[in-house]
Amino acid sequence: MGIFQKLVSFLGINKKEVNILVVGLNNSGKSTIVNHFKDGENKTHEIVPTVGFHIEKFENKNLSFTAFDMSGHGRYRDLWEHYYEDCHGIIFVIDSTDTFRLIVVKDELDTLLQHPHIRNKKIPLLFFANKIDCPNALSSVKIAASLGLERIMDKPWHISCSNAITGHGLHEGVEWLTQEVRQIVATKKY
Amino acid sequence: MSSFKRDKKEEEDGGGNPFQNIEKTAVLQEARVFNENLINARKCTQILTKILYLLNQGEQLGSTEATEVFFAMTKLFQSKDVILRRMVYLGIKELSSVANDVIIVTSSLTKDMTGKEDLYRAAAIRALCSITDATMLQAIERYMKQAIVDKNPAVSSAALVSSLHMTKIAYDVIKRWVNEAQEAVNSDNVMVQYHALGVLYHIRKSDRLAVTKLVAKLTRMSLKSPYAVCLLIRIACKLLEEEDTANDSSLFDFIESCLRHKSEMVTYEAAHAIVNLRKTTSHELVPAISVLQLFCSSPKPALRFAAVRTLNQVAISHPAAVTACNLDLENLITDSNRSIATLAITTLLKTGAESSVDRLMKQIATFVSEISDEFKVVVVQAIRALALKFPRKHSVLMNFLSAMLRDEGGLEYKASIADTIITMIEDNPEAKEAGLAHLCEFIEDCEHTSLAVKILHLLGKEGPRTKQPSRYIRFIYNRVILENPTVRAAAVSAMSQFGALCPDLLENILVLLARCQMDTDDEVRDRATYYSHILKQKDQGLYESYILQPLQISIPCLERSLREYLEAPSDTPFDIKSVPLATVPTEEEKQATVQKTEGILTIGPSKPIPVSREENYTERLSTLPGIQTLGPLFKSSEIIELTESETEYVVRCVKHCYTKHMVLQFDCINTLNDVLLENVRIQLDPSEGYIILSEIPCSKLPYNELASSYVILQMPEDLPSCFGTFGAVLKFIVKDCDPTTGLPETDNGYDDEYILENLEITLGDHIQRLHKINWAAAWEAAAARGYIEMEDTYSLSSTNTLEEAVKNIVQFLGLQPQERTDIVLEGKTTHTLLLAGVFRGGIEVLVRTKLALADGITMQLTVRSPDSDIAELIISAVG
Repeated sequence: MGIFQKLVSFLGINKKEVNILVVGLNNSGKSTIVNHFKDGENKTHEIVPTVGFHIEKFENKNLSFTAFDMSGHGRYRDLWEHYYEDCHGIIFVIDSTDTFRLIVVKDELDTLLQHPHIRNKKIPLLFFANKIDCPNALSSVKIAASLGLERIMDKPWHISCSNAITGHGLHEGVEWLTQEVRQIVATKKY
Repeated sequence: MSSFKRDKKEEEDGGGNPFQNIEKTAVLQEARVFNENLINARKCTQILTKILYLLNQGEQLGSTEATEVFFAMTKLFQSKDVILRRMVYLGIKELSSVANDVIIVTSSLTKDMTGKEDLYRAAAIRALCSITDATMLQAIERYMKQAIVDKNPAVSSAALVSSLHMTKIAYDVIKRWVNEAQEAVNSDNVMVQYHALGVLYHIRKSDRLAVTKLVAKLTRMSLKSPYAVCLLIRIACKLLEEEDTANDSSLFDFIESCLRHKSEMVTYEAAHAIVNLRKTTSHELVPAISVLQLFCSSPKPALRFAAVRTLNQVAISHPAAVTACNLDLENLITDSNRSIATLAITTLLKTGAESSVDRLMKQIATFVSEISDEFKVVVVQAIRALALKFPRKHSVLMNFLSAMLRDEGGLEYKASIADTIITMIEDNPEAKEAGLAHLCEFIEDCEHTSLAVKILHLLGKEGPRTKQPSRYIRFIYNRVILENPTVRAAAVSAMSQFGALCPDLLENILVLLARCQMDTDDEVRDRATYYSHILKQKDQGLYESYILQPLQISIPCLERSLREYLEAPSDTPFDIKSVPLATVPTEEEKQATVQKTEGILTIGPSKPIPVSREENYTERLSTLPGIQTLGPLFKSSEIIELTESETEYVVRCVKHCYTKHMVLQFDCINTLNDVLLENVRIQLDPSEGYIILSEIPCSKLPYNELASSYVILQMPEDLPSCFGTFGAVLKFIVKDCDPTTGLPETDNGYDDEYILENLEITLGDHIQRLHKINWAAAWEAAAARGYIEMEDTYSLSSTNTLEEAVKNIVQFLGLQPQERTDIVLEGKTTHTLLLAGVFRGGIEVLVRTKLALADGITMQLTVRSPDSDIAELIISAVG
């Protein structure tokens, strides 16, 4: 790294590239959340079930995110692990109206946390309790309790309620994530 | 970056291929760069190129390796670099068959194919279709339909070609895209139109009526794209070939009108099509030939080659029509392109007059050393055709061939020359002596064991019958001294033939054989001992059966029977008569194969050794319960159709004859895709005397699959009642099923039946063909051994020509025609047909028929056989 670049990064002027993995069960709203962060002209108006994954880019506070929006369908969940190795943050989206499948969510979350590429790393986890506007939605506290989030000791995590369609709660969550990632990247570099 | 620079430097040094020394493991290691956070597009492109290069060099990636690379590659989708993205598409296509879970990129590719970047769209479609399977196709169907009718021709073409590829895996889905393809046919773009027509044809090709309609519509529309017109011509041709109507239909008119098309491609395609249509008359051929003639003088080598190659093919079927082009072809002999020159000359040889042969042969001699072996074989084949056409020119041709034999060349080339000489010897008695002399000279210096053995065998067969047999002995004995064991053994066998046929040489042969008994090789010693022992007996009968007559049973069957015999030892000695006989190809079949080889220019790998029908079936039949008690299979008939070919169920029958039993094999195909047949069996109504021993139904008959059901019958003791007509009814349980899955919808079906055509058991089913080397000797020996002779005279009213009569007799009796007597010379009014065969149970049958053509045909039939019943049977069967 040249002296000029060092200077620039020290001043925080340049943009850092980070990879973010967006996972969660199918129909939880992952693609919709990612779509919300895109520029106005790139936004798609109709969201269809993702087959495989999408790659999207967006920026927040001088941090340039590359989001790997993974498919949540059962047969593709095994494929998430291919992208664990070099991600800097994970967004886990939960459908808070789907109480029935919360147990599946917990299962998937545990598998994710036990994965060798995740287990020993300090990767920030952001949970979105999505579809909070729906009448029968569970509160974020209830979800955190049923998923046993309090057991996660070695990683910073945060849960925020969101409504992906209106964008409510999304920015707040991503703000937190940006901060965490920036901290980690900074400590790693120096 | 540094490695890239070095590569560049090497390139500047003129170091040739920069990818020459790359290694798989190293490249896979490098591919980890794909996982990095910041993507260096140039470096990644470079690595992807290396991977693609390795794959195209035939390097195999293991499934885990491929999957790892594939997932690393998926991360490159984040880069916006156009070149890199397109390389990723290629990588996906290459790895789609090896890597697991390739479906992961579906969404990314769908996004690219519907996106704004035109550069991505076509390639993304191709990659997407390569990773999609039948179940996933429905998910992208909507996008594919849109892409087919896209404004961008590249996108539309890519979608069309991809759908064409996918008809193999998901025909039913692609079928639904017919409207979009129809719209694409109207496109202004040359390629889109062509590809759209291809897709339309593939969708409809199983429905003849639809294809006819399609062609009729498009021929009137006048397509813009020459490629599409070419394809249309081909489709039209296929329809014409299938149709039985005369050539004056509108289809032929269309092809003919294409001869005047402004594109050369279309004109050639039309000419080629007309020339290759089976039913083209010489009148219709004229315009096509004149188009080809025009191409012969074209400045473009490709056109000249195409024209002369097509003319070469027609020369076999319509020599007269090609004669018109002789002048142009003569000019092409000196063409700088050797392939064109060779084809021109061989065409001329096929069409030329007898007088021009000498001149042409001289022409060929000037450049034969410059052309490759494949084309030399073409020349040799042309000479073979010429030798058959002008027997009088044999000396010129023979000299030319022997000169070619002396040149360098591969086995295939040498073998084709030797074959040609052998054909000439067999067909033309005048050429025999000279031909044998050339061959003798050739084996003096022949490096191919198989050829030497073949020629030695021929010498043994033909040599003793020449005027001066002694002159060949020296050549043959030289082989014993000089060659490898295989050739030595063949030489010993050849010598013994001389000993058996030329009494005055016998003493000398015995001396030579005595020397051979000291050979180092077992096989040579065995043969020498065997033959010298037989020759010392001085008994013509022994000679006949143990030296001159080769073993006529099928060798694979003999091997199997012997093995079975050894596995289950019994007191009775092994009976060689129980082994099925080898079938000898008839004269017609031989000619068919010869014509085939002449018609085709390319020489494929040599065909496998033909196995007899019985051989094939024995394997299958041996699985049937109770089949072992019937003894060995004696004869299997040809396949007989018991239904029309276009009906709901297709049934074919094969009759297997055993010593005392008949096994009928019914091969059934269900052509209805919405029903499943179960318990399929054939109800037979056999003629008197036959007893049905068992029926073996076939449990399940799904759509478009072949399954067999069997009936085992005991034949009557009384011979004449063995022949008869059986009524047959196909019985089965029908279950409706879902056409797509093939699973039955309900558990209970209903009984149904289907009436088949009658099945006839004829004399020919009981007789196996047998080939006798010397029929006359066998005929005399039969009289000497006290065979029963029977004779009768008939008048054949239904046939008018000798050829037809001969053909009918051979077919009816199922005997093998001997000594080429199945060919009737033109213009003759009398003919003698010699036949031989074996009746089931191993009883020999010899038949001589004398035919005379007067108002009708009169036939005198003489039968010799050890069993009077069988002789009588044959006499009465003909009547």
